[in-house]
Amino acid sequence: MLLNAEFNDRQSIAAAIAALQARGFGAGGIEVYSAQPLDLPDGLLKRPSHMSLAAVAAATGIGLLAIVFVRATEYSYPVVTGGMPLFSWWASGVIFYEFTMFGAIAGTLGMFLLESGLLRRGPSIPAPNLTDGRIHVRISCEPENIGPATECLYLTGATRVEMVEKQ
Amino acid sequence: METAVGIRADTLRNTLWRPLSGATLGYRLALSVAFVLGFWGLCCWGYQIVRGIGVAGIRRPTMWGFYLVNFVFWIGISHAGTLISAILRLTNAGWRTPVTRAAEAITVFALMIGALFPIIHLGRPWVFFWLLPYPNSRLLWPNFRSPLLWDLTAIATYLTGSMIYLYLPLIPDVAELARRTSGWRFRLYRLLSLGWTGSSRQWHALERAMKQMAGIILAVAVSVHTVVAWDFAMAVAPMWHSSIFGPYFVVGAIFSGIAALLLAMAIIRRVLHLEAFLRPLHFDNLGKLLFLMSLLWLYFTVAENLTAWYGNDPAEMNVFTERIRGRFAPYFGVMVFCNFVVPLVLLGIRRLRSVRTVTITAVSVLIGMWLERYLIILPTLSRPRLAAATGFYSPTWVEISITASTFAAIVFLYLIFCKLFPIIAIWEYKDVVERGV
Repeated sequence: MLLNAEFNDRQSIAAAIAALQARGFGAGGIEVYSAQPLDLPDGLLKRPSHMSLAAVAAATGIGLLAIVFVRATEYSYPVVTGGMPLFSWWASGVIFYEFTMFGAIAGTLGMFLLESGLLRRGPSIPAPNLTDGRIHVRISCEPENIGPATECLYLTGATRVEMVEKQ
Repeated sequence: METAVGIRADTLRNTLWRPLSGATLGYRLALSVAFVLGFWGLCCWGYQIVRGIGVAGIRRPTMWGFYLVNFVFWIGISHAGTLISAILRLTNAGWRTPVTRAAEAITVFALMIGALFPIIHLGRPWVFFWLLPYPNSRLLWPNFRSPLLWDLTAIATYLTGSMIYLYLPLIPDVAELARRTSGWRFRLYRLLSLGWTGSSRQWHALERAMKQMAGIILAVAVSVHTVVAWDFAMAVAPMWHSSIFGPYFVVGAIFSGIAALLLAMAIIRRVLHLEAFLRPLHFDNLGKLLFLMSLLWLYFTVAENLTAWYGNDPAEMNVFTERIRGRFAPYFGVMVFCNFVVPLVLLGIRRLRSVRTVTITAVSVLIGMWLERYLIILPTLSRPRLAAATGFYSPTWVEISITASTFAAIVFLYLIFCKLFPIIAIWEYKDVVERGV
């Protein structure tokens, strides 16, 4: 079951989430929707991110691929270098650098799409309307917990609480 | 309710969305003129393709002319956006929000236009893809040690990064636009918003990605103009083979980039009536940065020329003399006047610094920096080491038309962008206003 609570101000959100977590609602089942990013206190709705790691991994991977590609090409199809070595770190360094950076960009974009859930396709849940400037808190809970959750949300400043159904 | 920056909250929202709908007579006129000029440039390029590269003024020994000058100039302008935006984002400069998107859009368009010039410069542009490293039946492989291939990879990486850097903070705004519009606009915005709902998971990922991209893009931006500088510095040509060419070009690029950003800001401020958002504070802050870059540019110019003069190498002195006292001397004088004297007077004297004078300085710097690129490329090519090969370059109407049309093309692209997407990042601006930063 999904519960949707409307709030008018940013300050109440942190209190609502803290109260819900104190009553045993896990961070994974709570989601906040807002038209602007919210600065929640540290530890509240903690979302671990592997974006930096993904960027470093993609950068290393694509950088190494570029080295293999350039080296293999230069030895397979040798160009006239006037006595200089066929493969040179100095001469190819810029190419490796740019490919490494390209990998970091691709890794960041890929992880952003993954972590934000923008690529995830599943049963759709109507998104709350954010044009009026309100902030919405959505809780996924068992039917028997609807009562306590609703009470908790109203106590912390929700102006309206309603059930939402998946489409 | 009055916000921390002195704008009423309701007018904030309405004013920021307003430029997207309707078009004033001035806007239509500007768009039409830009389109006609841009189209004329395309016709001239078509003429050059049909008649051959001989219709351009490039002759031995000056095999690089206006096209390469424009290439370096536009790649320099592209440093306006992403680099400046990334620096401001990483330093968490609160006043940056109305400026960043306008800047990032310049980067993407300037890069697109700049990257076209090496292709326009090719004798057979339809086989431009031979530059790409792909297996082919002719056993023809690109030379990975060629700075021209370095250029290709650097610009491709920068363009990709800049487009992503422009697109990511656009997602929340296009999602809101999708909720407010209908018809083709709704379909376009819904497609671009990727199903953005505004959940904390998405905001968290976006903020993290933006911070990370800002760091990466800084490293790429510096490398791009350094690589462009190495196109020249790797050649053992007089006044080119210099170890400070990389940083010299980067400084020049940031200098011209800030000038382009200021000019764009002044135009959209006037045309889209965004005076409440693009305030004198923004022009003042960027004006100070422009003045700082002017001093840095002068430092590098003096360092570069003094070293050449003191070395007294005959080949270098030929080029040096040509630039300071010869046929290129008037251009050199105008360049110093535009890049140093004008900023010194209009930006250095606090009393004279205003939106108008900052804009005038920006125009002056753009002229000066185009001349600087001209003066780097042409004197060296027209006075090579082999004295008998001395020549002179004068551009033809085809090159002048194509050059003019690229300025029109960037105006055209920019005006279209302003009508399709909010030129000020609305969610970022509202966030700053609500926090009272």
